[in-house]
Amino acid sequence: MRAQFGVESAPWTYEVTTTSVRMYARGIGSEDPIHYDVDFAKSQGFRSVVAPLGYLGTPVYLPGQNDPTFGFPRRGGGPRLDIPFKRLLDGGTETEYLDVICAGDVLVETSHLADLKLRDGAMGKMLFITNESVYTNKETGKVVAKQRLTSIHY
Amino acid sequence: MADQVYFEDVSEGQEILPIKITPDKQQLVKFAAGSGDFNPLHFDEKFAQGMGLPETIVHGRFKYALVGRVLSEWAGSKGRVRRFGVNYRGMDQPNKQITARGVVTAKKQENGQNIVELDVWAEDAEGKKTTPGTATVVLPSRG
Amino acid sequence: MGQVYFEDLGEGDEIPQLKKNCSTQQLVLWAAGSGDFYQIHYDKDFAQATGLKGLIVHGALKNAFLGQLLHDWIGEKGQIRRFGCSYRGMDEPNQDILCRGVVKRKYSEGGKHFVELDVWTEKPDGKKTSPGTAVVTLPSKN
Repeated sequence: MRAQFGVESAPWTYEVTTTSVRMYARGIGSEDPIHYDVDFAKSQGFRSVVAPLGYLGTPVYLPGQNDPTFGFPRRGGGPRLDIPFKRLLDGGTETEYLDVICAGDVLVETSHLADLKLRDGAMGKMLFITNESVYTNKETGKVVAKQRLTSIHY
Repeated sequence: MADQVYFEDVSEGQEILPIKITPDKQQLVKFAAGSGDFNPLHFDEKFAQGMGLPETIVHGRFKYALVGRVLSEWAGSKGRVRRFGVNYRGMDQPNKQITARGVVTAKKQENGQNIVELDVWAEDAEGKKTTPGTATVVLPSRG
Repeated sequence: MGQVYFEDLGEGDEIPQLKKNCSTQQLVLWAAGSGDFYQIHYDKDFAQATGLKGLIVHGALKNAFLGQLLHDWIGEKGQIRRFGCSYRGMDEPNQDILCRGVVKRKYSEGGKHFVELDVWTEKPDGKKTSPGTAVVTLPSKN
């Protein structure tokens, strides 16, 4: 599996819209107008409503191409991992921001395998997989965020 | 909303304003809607029990986002959260209070930027840190 | 399905059926898509506290299924003019919901070809839970 490190996936488009920003903000129980009110957000110097921290847009969903439960794109390129475990838990999330993300942004994301650890845990052998995604603003070509997601397979 | 915080106002050891939330099932379904994570583990009791859990659990990333709210509300519109990350060490259930907190661990100036490092985490109603992590925030100067 | 034409139909004809079966996940997806987060559709304790036996399928979702039934049938050249139903009976998750339609009347007017239908959803025992009607226009072979 280690040979798969750094193998970049095919790109996927993530969309940040006013509707999706508002739904995410509602989802986390925030009432901060910066996520809801476009005029207010502009008065604070932003292009539009600001994406809550951790939200990097919603991946374009195409039936058959995205996982129906989690929504992530299953796509060409990227690492091929044969995971012998059936159960899955979220291990950790880290986001790095190079710019503020606002509604109206269209981001192009690629991901690669960043880390792999096999550990003995309370529930038996556990495989920790960390994927790093890089998000680029489609219009400006600039990297705006990076996110590392760790999943635990056991 | 709080007034803008400035680099000069911050000191090591300072705790930033926490956020408490007691998410009910509806909140978790709204988070599924917002995040796109429709894993039935978070809303279907039978499914959760089939996975060996006593009841449904809160999405890890819901707690991550709660920590994000604490940071963005503290940083204000002129502050910038450069990075923040957490690990999901313990599970939380719906209808129980979760508190997201942060403590300043360091402040420094680097390449002309005012950098503040923090320990951040989410804890359950008993005070157990289920979701520990760190953050780096850039704050404006008063001057 | 190939394109259906006005001439292909007779009064009393049934259109192709659409079978649905909603998982709890489907109901949460509908809540997300529609913005209706009423808890009777995913929180069993809440549903039972309101006097229901258990979770029920959103009426508007069944209405949407009937829309899909019609959309699948009329093809690219057909148009749905209007459709609606009443939510008379309740449907539950993990149970078949059969969407059906029958042609009641067909007529031409102003150069367009109209078909009126009865549409409805029914439970496995045949009980009609959401009776309704629809009007569509279809292309003519001429």
